[in-house]
Amino acid sequence: MTQDMQIESYLTALRYNLGPLTIAEREEIVLEIGAHIRDSAEESGAGIESVLARLGPAEKLAAQYRDGLLIRKASRSFSPLVLLRATLRLATKGVFGIFVFCCAILGYSSGVVLVFAALAKPFFPANTGLWFQDGRFVDSGVLHFPPPAPPAHEVLGMWLIPLALTLGSLTLLFTNWAIRTALRVSQRWQSRL
Amino acid sequence: MANMRAAPVEGETSDRWEAQLRKGALEMATLACLWKGRLYGLEIIRFLESHSRLVLAEGTIYPILNRLKAEGMLTSEWVEAEAGHPRKYYSLTDAGRQRLRLMAEAWVSFSQGLSQLLEPVLETKEISQ
Repeated sequence: MTQDMQIESYLTALRYNLGPLTIAEREEIVLEIGAHIRDSAEESGAGIESVLARLGPAEKLAAQYRDGLLIRKASRSFSPLVLLRATLRLATKGVFGIFVFCCAILGYSSGVVLVFAALAKPFFPANTGLWFQDGRFVDSGVLHFPPPAPPAHEVLGMWLIPLALTLGSLTLLFTNWAIRTALRVSQRWQSRL
Repeated sequence: MANMRAAPVEGETSDRWEAQLRKGALEMATLACLWKGRLYGLEIIRFLESHSRLVLAEGTIYPILNRLKAEGMLTSEWVEAEAGHPRKYYSLTDAGRQRLRLMAEAWVSFSQGLSQLLEPVLETKEISQ
């Protein structure tokens, strides 16, 4: 394989693996890495193989660009789906990522359950709420069939709707904010040696 | 036997710790390379090699430059070179200069404090088992 063919095959692999980026971004990266390979080979007088080895595999290099883009996009996004996808990717990178992912799942599910409780209450008033007996907590639930038997009684009544809606929305907003902050912090540690 | 097994684990832990430390410093070092003027990727890599001990896999610097540019810390321009192909030069923006300044101040005050703390550790010649 000639030197030009080796460079071309590396750049083709790089271009292919940069899929999610825009064409303009992709071509600019390919142009820059191509210039690096030629300059580096000329400067050191070493063969293309050693220049490419120092650069690392094209797939790995492209993955660093893709991760940067994913996390950058997510740290500006409000969409739970985009944020969850980024935390899932972060979870593959270490303990901090796994911790963030678990907190994200916990935060989103708590928020969703609370909002769901507020929506279910008007339709299933007897089966959704917080039950007490003799001043002590007995049970809580959404669509609780059958509900706890008397003398346990539901204490929140229709107050559950504004309460759960507020608490649920706040939980979802807080989770979003916490994930975005964690992603920004993780960006500082993305640089790999 | 137990000692023989323990030694590599200790080595790995300190290697990992050092790698984390380098990762944290790399962004600041990359910005610092550009303090005096514009450079292209390979020049930044060579600058880092000669001015710091941040020996890096060459490919890693480019995604970092890409991110710093997206964050508005750097600008870039393509310049035709004698080599026959254009090169992408990076320069610091005002925001980049400001961030680097803050990072440098934090780094120096942090490392001075730590150096004082570590002085007695390095003065002790032998470590008793």
